[in-house]
Amino acid sequence: MVGQSPAGAGSGPRPQVLAWAYHHRAAAKTSVEKMLREPISNTLTVLVIAFALALPTFGLALANAVNQEVKRLDAPPQLSLLTESRVTLDDAKLLAERIALRPGVASVKVIDRDTALTEFIEATGLDALSSRLESNPLPHTLWLYPAPNIRSAGLEQLSQDLTVLPGVAEVVLDSRWLERLEAFLALARSIAVALGMAMALGVVLTLGNTLRLGIESRREEIVVIKLIGGGNAFARRPFLYTGALIGALGGLVSGVLIFMTLEILNAPISQLFELYDRSVTVAIFDLSDLTVLVGLGSVLGWTSACYSVQLHLTRIQPR
Amino acid sequence: MDLVFDRVGKRFDQRDALIDLTFSMASGEMAFLTGHSGAGKSTLLRLLLLLDRATSGEVSVNGRPLSKIRDSGIAAYRRDFGVVFQDHKLLFDRSVFHNVALPLEIAGFTKRDIDRRVRAALDKVGLLARERASPEMLSGGEQQRVGIARAVVARPKILIADEPTGNLDPQLSAEIMGLFAAFNSVGVTVIVASHDLGLISRMSQRILTLKEGRLITLNTDLRGDS
Repeated sequence: MVGQSPAGAGSGPRPQVLAWAYHHRAAAKTSVEKMLREPISNTLTVLVIAFALALPTFGLALANAVNQEVKRLDAPPQLSLLTESRVTLDDAKLLAERIALRPGVASVKVIDRDTALTEFIEATGLDALSSRLESNPLPHTLWLYPAPNIRSAGLEQLSQDLTVLPGVAEVVLDSRWLERLEAFLALARSIAVALGMAMALGVVLTLGNTLRLGIESRREEIVVIKLIGGGNAFARRPFLYTGALIGALGGLVSGVLIFMTLEILNAPISQLFELYDRSVTVAIFDLSDLTVLVGLGSVLGWTSACYSVQLHLTRIQPR
Repeated sequence: MDLVFDRVGKRFDQRDALIDLTFSMASGEMAFLTGHSGAGKSTLLRLLLLLDRATSGEVSVNGRPLSKIRDSGIAAYRRDFGVVFQDHKLLFDRSVFHNVALPLEIAGFTKRDIDRRVRAALDKVGLLARERASPEMLSGGEQQRVGIARAVVARPKILIADEPTGNLDPQLSAEIMGLFAAFNSVGVTVIVASHDLGLISRMSQRILTLKEGRLITLNTDLRGDS
């Protein structure tokens, strides 16, 4: 019906998929151009997102690193089993052999009462004490080395089981500090995760609001696009890219912030680990974490753009 | 593309904007739509572009009843139209070239096709030399011609113009009407709403006159050969 074109000859629109890909490329390009036109407000938004992401990520990364270090700790002798005073050394050795067969026990070492006293006197320097003692008041002692995979709850159970064995006077469980550390780490991680979720919501809302202002300021353009046959999808695309891009940049900057913080904290962290005779062996935050952070940022950005566009852009209709 | 208005009514709140409107246009026909302001010209065009929907009756374009087009299909439907607005509706944040290119970008043309077609359209309205200018730098008549280039660049099947000569002097107005006649001569269906009776009566085309929402003349005899 249109025999000859009023606008010159040429082939028609390209196939759907190609057109779609072209639209996306064009939308990405447009969104970068628009962002560069408002450097200050966009930089501020990026920084807000960076700080919001950096805080919980840093906490989570630190808690995970400490947790990994704790898992690597060689299990120190954490159970001391004191025999009743009537138990002979031979009986103590028999008891040790039986206990060594239990699951959860790596090995058992018998400290006989004379050695224990000698070591005690050497360690304390109380030579005078030995001459005053009529007999050795110490019982034989068994040191239990738990299997490395056993956690504090297992140790608790093991110590209860051992207490009821005949000839056992007392089992001293020296694992309170480990329990406390584990509880603290679990708490720290929960706080980081909760904080992270709150911050993620904050990112979505902040970015959604920034994009809303963008949509408002481009109302005229959206109306024209819709008037000449552009759908919501066409009008929406640049905003989705802007959201994803700002989010990804926020993730990147938050990664840089975390790297910088770790650089500053490097000395005190190493010092802390040295107090436990450890050196820092795991990377607290590395490139793969950064990739995750950038990806997370862009997903959050895309999400908030979807929400904002759904809320505001679809309402703009030509009048 | 032909179009049919069959007993179409449009009611806003308590006021009838169009009443029992029946007429049809053949594919490749050109018509002027005239009447005082408030007579229903804009309402008729809005129904045609699906900016509003008829309260009663049925508008059909190319045999397709518009009531059957869902909201999600409106954008695609509008791509068959080229529209020239009285206030141009150009985007001042981009060059003349990119204003004209917008419908092609929406339709997904290649960059090469876009370049060629935009230049052809700008050449047709005599603005090829201004492709890099911002629309702000142009005069009212030039802006209107950019609007026309944008309306025709994607080779629409129907061209609609709403008061395209509203603010222009008589000579510019005549030039622009001449452009519409030229597009019509290559087979595009053209509807021009205008209250410039002196000008349109000289064009020897069909004239549809609206008064208070009703069609009062169906001037088919004046239709020239195009």
